Amino acid sequence: MLEVAGLTAGYGGPNVLEDVSLDVEAGELVGLLGANNAGKSTLINCISGVLRPRAGSIRFLGEDITRAKPSDIVSRGIVQVPEGRQVFPRMSVLDNLLLGGTTAVARPRRADRLEQVFTLFPRLKERRPQYAGTLSGGEQQMLAIGRAMMGGPKLLMLDEPSLGLSPLFVQTIFRALRELNAQGLTILLVEQNLNLTLSCAVRGVVLERGQVALAGTSATLRADPRTRQAYLGL
Amino acid sequence: MTELLIQTVVQGLLVGGGYALVALSLGLTYNVSGIINFAHGDFLTLAMYLALALQTAWALDPYVSTVITFPLLFVSGVALYWFLLRPVARSQLLMVIQLTLGVTFVLQNGILMVFGGQPVRVPSDWEASLLILGDSLFLRTPQVLAFAGSLLLALLLWIVLDHTETGRRIRAVHQNPRAAALMGIDVPRVRTLTFGVGIGIQAIAGALLIPGTPIEPGQGFRYTVIPLMALVMGGLSDFRGIYLAAILIGVTEALGTVFVSGTSGMIVPYALFVLVLLLRPQGLFRRA
Ligand SMILES: Nc1ncnc2c1ncn2[C@@H]1O[C@H](COP(=O)(O)OP(=O)(O)O)[C@@H](O)[C@H]1O
Ligand SMILES: [Mg+2]
Repeated sequence: MLEVAGLTAGYGGPNVLEDVSLDVEAGELVGLLGANNAGKSTLINCISGVLRPRAGSIRFLGEDITRAKPSDIVSRGIVQVPEGRQVFPRMSVLDNLLLGGTTAVARPRRADRLEQVFTLFPRLKERRPQYAGTLSGGEQQMLAIGRAMMGGPKLLMLDEPSLGLSPLFVQTIFRALRELNAQGLTILLVEQNLNLTLSCAVRGVVLERGQVALAGTSATLRADPRTRQAYLGL
Repeated sequence: MTELLIQTVVQGLLVGGGYALVALSLGLTYNVSGIINFAHGDFLTLAMYLALALQTAWALDPYVSTVITFPLLFVSGVALYWFLLRPVARSQLLMVIQLTLGVTFVLQNGILMVFGGQPVRVPSDWEASLLILGDSLFLRTPQVLAFAGSLLLALLLWIVLDHTETGRRIRAVHQNPRAAALMGIDVPRVRTLTFGVGIGIQAIAGALLIPGTPIEPGQGFRYTVIPLMALVMGGLSDFRGIYLAAILIGVTEALGTVFVSGTSGMIVPYALFVLVLLLRPQGLFRRA
């Protein structure tokens, strides 16, 4: 479904990603792991089109999207839940959700999807008229995921959704992700939480200083001592 | 005395309505792009001279010629944002300011070259028309129209920004452009078109302010500074605050001119500005 090949990227300075390749098949939940600053966010920002890669290619559903605009990529069905949630703070929860479905392809289906999101996270329904900035961190994360779901993604990419959340909210979020995956949604999950990620991902890719250090099924990664080493940045 | 006071306050309200028109459009362009356009007032000048040219050439009333000047100003706003501001938007603040000051220079001198430096009046059928309320309150019809126009524009902005999908997108781009892009909003497009509309509104403001006001090429600075004061006093992204601040500036300016001796009366609105900055730096009506 998603084929990233030989991706190299950076921010004005040296390469932050170098020759990264990664495939995600339809229906999979793939974990993207790695220590802080390994380049995980950079990779998914390239996929989302908000950062132009220096070399390499990104293909989605058989089509090249390497130089596509972010708005075009969302319309094609790749939606990102960004690191730090990035909700619109001075807008209501409802407005935030509606914005998630603002593309021309998503708009006709907004009413249905809103119901689905409220079923997934009933808390958001209660908080509908409230400013997003007044929500707790966990609620904001639910909102960020709900907002992404409003776009009707074929591939959902999440950047460290458990960051800074209480264990209870982490459970809620991961339960929701498993449920979405069970319903057939393809997910690329960037996480710090190694065990939790490997427990729900079929496969994982470990990035180390901008390069793929390891890749394999969750079971192999869990057994391989190098996973933990890469993770600790050793 | 009370008659003079009432007449002055009403006059100030009407003038403030004119400032509000320009301040709201400045607020729109600032909030969507994050850029203070120091040439904003010069686009008002441009709109007024275009109206003058259309009046001279085809005897079009300035109110009527907005159907021509609005698209022209819209296109120049789009071009300004797309070709000049967008490429530098990420660089240093000072560079962006320099650039818009450069645009001021080009516009003022361009107008000077084409139309000359003498203040001119654009003749309008409405210029001399008066509304008389009661037996002592005289209102100039064009000023009443300008005030009504400013209210209408404020209402329209509120409807569009708060109650339409386009407005929701504009607010998203303002609050978090990165997240807006990740929602599939074409951020450069929203910014460019909104900037164009903000400059386009200057055509309407120009037509409403023309009757009875002499125009000259160098007036633009005043129509940047006063709206900018309203923007800051109002709290930058609070349109209601910007509107009321503009009205307040109009009223204090009128009171100062009438009741404080000589030219020092013009200082009153600036004193108000400093006072608001000291006491309510977050804006007149915003919670801290
Ligand atoms: N906007 C940016 N500008 C410059 N450097 C950046 C930017 N974002 C990230 N980097 C650098 O790129 C490297 C990878 O960062 P990132 O992709 O955020 O890693 P991760 O998400 O794995 O923590 C880091 O060294 C970081 O400092
Ligand atoms: Mg990151």
